[in-house]
Amino acid sequence: MQTKIVSKNFEIPHANSLEVALKNGRYTSLEKLFTYQPQEVIDIIKTSNLRGKGGGGAPAGAKWQLASDFEGKKYLVVNADESEPGTFKDRQIISKDPHLLIEGIICTCYAIGANSSYIYVRGEYEEFSDILQIAIDEAYAKNILGDEAKYPVEITIHRGAGAYICGEKSALLESLEGNRGHPRLKPKSPEPEFYFGEPTLVNNVETIASVPFIIENGAEAYTAYGTDCSSGTLLFAISGHVEKAGVYEAEFGVGMWDYIQKLGGGVKNGKKLKAVIPGGASTPILPAHLVMEAKLDYENLKSLGSALGTGGMIVLDEDVSMVKALKNLLRFYHHESCGQCTPCREGTSWVDKTLDKFINKTATLQDLEVLKSVSKSMNGQTICVFAPAASGVIDGFLKHFESEFLECIV
Amino acid sequence: MKILVDNTPIECQEGELLIDVLINNGVEIPHFCYQQDLGMDGNCRMCMVEIKGQKRPQIACDTFVCENLEVSTKSEKINEVKRSILELELLNHPVDCPICDQAGECKLQDYYMDYGLYESHLCTPKTKKGKHIDLGSNVMLDQERCVLCMRCVRFTSNITKTGELGVIGRGDKAKIAVAPNHPLNNSYAMNVVELCPVGALTSKDFRFQQRVWFLDSAKSICHGCSRGCNIFIDYNETKYTDEKVYRFRARRNKEINLSFLCDFGRLSYKELNEKFTSSTWHVETFKEYLKIEKKVALASPSLSLQQLQAIKEFCEKNSIALYSLPYVDESFGDDWLKINDRSANFAGVKELLISTCQNDFENSLKDANLIINFDHNLLKSHMPENKQLLHFSTSKCDYGTVYAIANFAHENGTLINCDGIRQEYYATKYRCETPRLVELLEELK
Amino acid sequence: MSFSFNETNNLKIELLSKRYPQKKALILPLLWLAQKQEGFISEEAMVKISELSHMPYMHIYSVASFYSMFRLVKNEKKVVEVCRTLSCELNGSQVIKKHLLENYSDKYEILEVECMGACGGAPMCTLEGKYIENVTPKMLDEVLNAN
Repeated sequence: MQTKIVSKNFEIPHANSLEVALKNGRYTSLEKLFTYQPQEVIDIIKTSNLRGKGGGGAPAGAKWQLASDFEGKKYLVVNADESEPGTFKDRQIISKDPHLLIEGIICTCYAIGANSSYIYVRGEYEEFSDILQIAIDEAYAKNILGDEAKYPVEITIHRGAGAYICGEKSALLESLEGNRGHPRLKPKSPEPEFYFGEPTLVNNVETIASVPFIIENGAEAYTAYGTDCSSGTLLFAISGHVEKAGVYEAEFGVGMWDYIQKLGGGVKNGKKLKAVIPGGASTPILPAHLVMEAKLDYENLKSLGSALGTGGMIVLDEDVSMVKALKNLLRFYHHESCGQCTPCREGTSWVDKTLDKFINKTATLQDLEVLKSVSKSMNGQTICVFAPAASGVIDGFLKHFESEFLECIV
Repeated sequence: MKILVDNTPIECQEGELLIDVLINNGVEIPHFCYQQDLGMDGNCRMCMVEIKGQKRPQIACDTFVCENLEVSTKSEKINEVKRSILELELLNHPVDCPICDQAGECKLQDYYMDYGLYESHLCTPKTKKGKHIDLGSNVMLDQERCVLCMRCVRFTSNITKTGELGVIGRGDKAKIAVAPNHPLNNSYAMNVVELCPVGALTSKDFRFQQRVWFLDSAKSICHGCSRGCNIFIDYNETKYTDEKVYRFRARRNKEINLSFLCDFGRLSYKELNEKFTSSTWHVETFKEYLKIEKKVALASPSLSLQQLQAIKEFCEKNSIALYSLPYVDESFGDDWLKINDRSANFAGVKELLISTCQNDFENSLKDANLIINFDHNLLKSHMPENKQLLHFSTSKCDYGTVYAIANFAHENGTLINCDGIRQEYYATKYRCETPRLVELLEELK
Repeated sequence: MSFSFNETNNLKIELLSKRYPQKKALILPLLWLAQKQEGFISEEAMVKISELSHMPYMHIYSVASFYSMFRLVKNEKKVVEVCRTLSCELNGSQVIKKHLLENYSDKYEILEVECMGACGGAPMCTLEGKYIENVTPKMLDEVLNAN
């Protein structure tokens, strides 16, 4: 059931070292890369239908084109902030096959015409960013990176310091500029991101790590995997109440329940499934009956009222209290709201505090109304999608498990 | 080009910010973070409007107008959106309006009356933050009342570039603060009080002095230097007291001071309340003085064109040499609003061709027996030897005979600022105890 | 008391300065270096960073207070962080937290944190930043007593 494209070298011992990496096919895509014009590379990415793997699933090629169309200084920023609960795939790439990421960065920089890149790694991943730094140093020493390289690229690791919101690309750039991680107002028409005013492409680690395969094997080799609209593979992650939590790469479109059973080893301790949060905490929860029909691709999960997100599934067994589970997530949103705009700053705090009353079984019907109305106020009225995500989480729990909340009302 | 706002066509320029168009045309649009001279920030989300063809409500401060834009600012749907945002703004706000100095000029109060009026749903404890924090430079902070609109932070970051204010913490724990041992310290600091749309930042100088609904406002010009910043004089008169001025507020003028004032100018209102004794009220006394031979007159360069013109005519008629000397203070000016030339109307003096030559004045002074001082500060605390000194003054003088005259709060007049801009100012509406100079000189003819 | 970066860090700063288009971008790297050097970020360190980044002191303070990993108060104790987010809670993070608070709060500073990206190894905690995944009370006893 596993399809190993990005994770091909994960099991190879010491694949993080340049020596082993070179023996296992790293940097071979570069030869082919330089036979193409940059625009040809972008076209290949467009044809491959590669989609952003950080959660949004936006077509990568179009984004590359936006950055590429600008003249002058440009930047590539790799988003390794990975802080969506239930998501732990990027750290596998960073620590098990860092040279794949470096190779991808070189390809991407070449395509869009950038020579400087930053990898924004979440602060907690110090051990992993240390591994990545060693790999970068090795690549510099061998002139794979730096001024002497065939195509000069600089890579600088920039460590975050504990803020979920910095995974949002504009907040990430603010952080990279030395500011608080406050998301920026969104442009009205498509444009690239900007770092200190210069056009910038921001892509997730896994997106960039998928590029070498496409360059080396062609767009068709990639679209051969997955579904029509969701091409290729994703490093799906599975955690919570499963026997074999972990990261297993699979084609888009595989059955969710199939995946949970075959790769995740099924629900822990032989318990029954209650629900799955399909793609990181911010995607609306799916009750067991929908899990059975769910397929792991963007379109299918959207049709079920949820989203694929990062592909990090959290499995909940039959004993889980949905009130407690929601409380856990709302506490997270409360803690991580950047506090910049009103609906999010006040809303996330209010729903979290209101949930306490359900936990203590002192809630009233009015508190349930508060949850619903605040959730509505948080949706579609903020600068970024943090509050709408929290809103979707609340709505998902109440849609499928409202009875459990009603039981807490005095 | 035209856009349609609530079905009414409004003329505007392509590319203008929608919120500016709405404000400039008197369309009510609630907002906290947007301020015309600080620009947009987009954090408060209060200025939501419905735009035809857009799925979600949009903030007017981040919408540029374009041909055929159709906007609704008061549909039921958009009012519901505003109500919901306002509810969140007010969620952790203390209900202490009766003891809050901002009451009466508070946006939260205003908008609650316009869009709120709901029953409170809050059944969870409010977030506690710091109260009566002294930020320095006369500014007090109540973090619980703050709506985090960032106007004050943007002012110190982008306008004064001194950067004393910032946000610490995040989420609902975020609060405005200065860093320990790094207080507010710039000569424009008190603008943040006026910029604050709620009662979070108050002025130590004004707080608890007067409820704002007892105050009237007169359009005036600051006399602190030759910049000519536009102000409102906020004043009142109660049953048992004379008229009192409580504060100056900035009156927006895009060409001169935008929405700002320097702290010096802002606090210079105090001079208008100074009480001093007039030596005489009799015109006859003055007529006696006029009989003295060899007279010289010095006029303040902060008097209005009308006053200076009357003085000039008076002096010409009575053969009195008239001079005016500038108020120059090399330590006062900066690279923004403050100007070393501390006179309000020195350009006016020049326009009326009144001599400003220091040497000539000093020579005339030597010969003179009588000096008539028209409110010039130089002679208020300095007595030339063997001379008689007569003042027409708006403030206390240490020597000589003093005729108290009305200060600029009680006058209408015209000033020319350092950039040659001619501006009118207007008197407060209450009775003035002291005569106005122009009328007095008229009487003396 | 004034603060200065040690020689190794000064070399790092020199290298980093070349990597960013503006000095302001150095703020996060410098805060990290200061914290590594002293165990926390002192007022004096922030003054230094303010000079190096050409930004007002308050900006540094404001940025430092935004990120949960920056410590602005000195604490001699070693830090143990326990993840409390969903996958860890589902797998018993409460037991781990209770065990830590009951047995180790004298010697260690025990903090609850949000998701660390180790959901596959839930429950998890960190000791001085190092991940300990699939942690059990017994494992904790072994690691913490050895420290």
